[in-house]
Amino acid sequence: MPFVSKTRRQTDYNRFPPSVPIVIDNGASYFRIGWAGETEPRVVFRNIVQRPRHKATGETVTIVGDQDPAMMKFFDCTRSGPRSAFDSNVVYQFEIMEYILDFAFDRLGASGSSIDHPILITECVCNPVYSRSKMAELLFDTYGVPAVAFGVDAAFSYKYNQRHGKCQKDGIVICPGFTTTHTIPFVEGEPVYKGSCRTNIGGYHVTDYLKQLLSLKYPFHSSIFTWEKAEELKLEHCYIAPDYVSEVRKFQEGTKEAEEKTRYWQLPWIPPPVEAPPSEEEIARKAAIREKQGQRLREMAEAKRSSKINEMENELHSLHFLVKQLDQVEEDDIPSFLSDTGYTSRQELESTVSKVTQALRKARGDPKDEPDEFEENIDSNEKYPLLNVPDNMLTPEQIKDKKKQLFLKTTTEGRLRARQKRNEEELEKERRNQLEEERRRENPEFYLEEMRAQYKEVLERVEQKKRLKTNGSNTNGNQKSGNVGRGERLSAAKRERMRLLTTAAFDRGKGEDTFGAKDEDWQLYKLMSKDNDDDDERPDSDEAELARLSSRLQEIDPTFEQKVEGELGQASGEAPGVRPLTEEDYKIVIGVERFRCPEILFHPNLVGIDQVGLDEMAGASIRRLPHEDKELEERLTSSILMTGGCSLVQGMKERLECGIRMIRPCGSTINVVQAEDPVLDAWRGASAFAADLNFLKNAFTKKDYYEKGEDWLRGYQIQYNTL
Amino acid sequence: MMEGELVDAEIVVPTHLSFKKTQAYEKYPKGQSRGRWKHLKQILQADLNDPSSYISIESPPSTQPCKRICDVTGFEAPYVDPRTNLRYANAQVFKTLRSLSPHQVHHYLSIRNAAPLLK
Repeated sequence: MPFVSKTRRQTDYNRFPPSVPIVIDNGASYFRIGWAGETEPRVVFRNIVQRPRHKATGETVTIVGDQDPAMMKFFDCTRSGPRSAFDSNVVYQFEIMEYILDFAFDRLGASGSSIDHPILITECVCNPVYSRSKMAELLFDTYGVPAVAFGVDAAFSYKYNQRHGKCQKDGIVICPGFTTTHTIPFVEGEPVYKGSCRTNIGGYHVTDYLKQLLSLKYPFHSSIFTWEKAEELKLEHCYIAPDYVSEVRKFQEGTKEAEEKTRYWQLPWIPPPVEAPPSEEEIARKAAIREKQGQRLREMAEAKRSSKINEMENELHSLHFLVKQLDQVEEDDIPSFLSDTGYTSRQELESTVSKVTQALRKARGDPKDEPDEFEENIDSNEKYPLLNVPDNMLTPEQIKDKKKQLFLKTTTEGRLRARQKRNEEELEKERRNQLEEERRRENPEFYLEEMRAQYKEVLERVEQKKRLKTNGSNTNGNQKSGNVGRGERLSAAKRERMRLLTTAAFDRGKGEDTFGAKDEDWQLYKLMSKDNDDDDERPDSDEAELARLSSRLQEIDPTFEQKVEGELGQASGEAPGVRPLTEEDYKIVIGVERFRCPEILFHPNLVGIDQVGLDEMAGASIRRLPHEDKELEERLTSSILMTGGCSLVQGMKERLECGIRMIRPCGSTINVVQAEDPVLDAWRGASAFAADLNFLKNAFTKKDYYEKGEDWLRGYQIQYNTL
Repeated sequence: MMEGELVDAEIVVPTHLSFKKTQAYEKYPKGQSRGRWKHLKQILQADLNDPSSYISIESPPSTQPCKRICDVTGFEAPYVDPRTNLRYANAQVFKTLRSLSPHQVHHYLSIRNAAPLLK
């Protein structure tokens, strides 16, 4: 881990005389503070501030840097996340900066009435004068600092490495930092800011990209991909591909190399508790309960039935009694006699009797007599005696009867025919089944294959039909109802309907209205009606076939699984939840992401930043130099130093060299070296610079600042060559 | 009172520091903290005439052809889905892509700063 916080309070502050400067590397990600002339900063921490509420007292407190998460339980952080003083790489929130400086000086052990040491603090390349002056004011007015100097971190790193012989007095420093990446050309040991380049991309963006990609890939686990976790994964796994396209192809083709390069991260996964099979006792108990309930239900049904039978018997009894009474009544008195009972005639009464008798028989569960059976046996001549008699020999009454008989005869015959047909069909089916069974016995595997193929084909056909019906968008099963959404194109039927409606709506006033003159005109309404498009006059033969095949397959194929509607193909990002979770769902796969994320340093447009990447920046910097000088350019490219946290990514040097070679003229010397310590060299360079006797010449006091004014501060630049 | 552990760990920055001439609580009484600072864009206005300023050292756009990669997988992406505007590598990815929720689509687009802005 290249980034380690050190926040232990120093005890030797008072040992340093006021002449020893304090050196601060104020980076957007980390803050480092220490004494001039030393090789290591004393205090290092993440450059962030949190202002949560202390739960016990309700006070708002200040917490700087990363702290032990266990300690955060005392605070209510819901309303304040970590905040930074930086916008891009420029300090703009000086309140936060003040908290950070408070913490830093406190941990350095400061105890007097002011910070009585000159201060060298780093800033970004071409820091806006507003930011620089605010920082100076803060140091002078709040901390009582006697003198201040500003320098650029990347430049200090270059000078430090130049002193250690890693690079020449002419060269380029490439510094991929936290939020920005810079290139600064050095000529005669001095940085040329006119020739520098800044692309607004850095380690922050790489981590953020990784975080977003992973949480999109695993929406179910998005909460575990915190900023800190993503940063950790980046530092551990990310590398820069020598050539993105060829590297990604390896992964696309699933080569062995790609397999080896894929990293897996198994999240803790607890298998869902397997339900223990119920014990014998349990089963018996349940069965007993079920039995008991069944018994009770049966009893209830029985009671109901018997009471119903009773009721009907009573009714029948009274009806019979009525009929008997009726027998004794004179023919003429019948209507008056019946008017009390609610029946109008003897026939009606009799038919009621027969109905009730039948219902009773049914309720008792007596075998139903089937009149059809013996009807067949009766000669049709006997049953329909009038049919064969010519009309002219019959009375009108008899003709009526004849018609009735004819009707009865045809319906009975029709019924018979239908039954026969059913029987035949059944026989045919039986025969076909037998045939298939035989074929199966002959060659079971082939038969199974064939069945499966058939099933698949029919399934596809059915789904195709379904899709066509519901406007063709159901490929993903996202929209179950076939409604029109998200610019869907309509199905053919719907389109036609819309067309008809619109023409009908606007077909007015052109000449005279002849609608309805022809009968066909009215067909229009039929076409327009909404259910027109889901007409199913005949049951879908394909669907029937599908049902048959699937049931058959279920019988003979143990591995067969009926396809569930709307089932998705394997989708890695699919949120589990429909199916039981498996260990696989808790495995985070980091493959292409390993080099896709750092790739944005070379191609910022992958994350929508339209600027040149690292390799092209070097070329852009050289072009920006005021005079074209081939020899100088040659010297510059033969001493390229990479520094800054992001240059630690594996494969950076090779890729940079390769990229710069592509944009430079053929035969140029390209030499890229990595800084000794890309993270700490800036502070070390600054420390060495501040330890030099000439340091104070580069610093300015409060008096200077207020006398010389803003314009002077804008042009302020230290001379790095003292180093 | 702070809990003992907290005091021991010295997590909280003390409100009063002897080495300061003006304390933070005097400068920033409660409720004054937010929105008082100029944002970067405003800060940069002051330096517009400077020959080598923060704005002028900004990198130019790239001259290399824009690399198009699949938004979901990172593979080379020859295709663009006209409905979602996402880039994709092959039919399989396309299937996944169509199963994404509008929210996810928006997220993918906003990663490369291509999401439609709702104003």
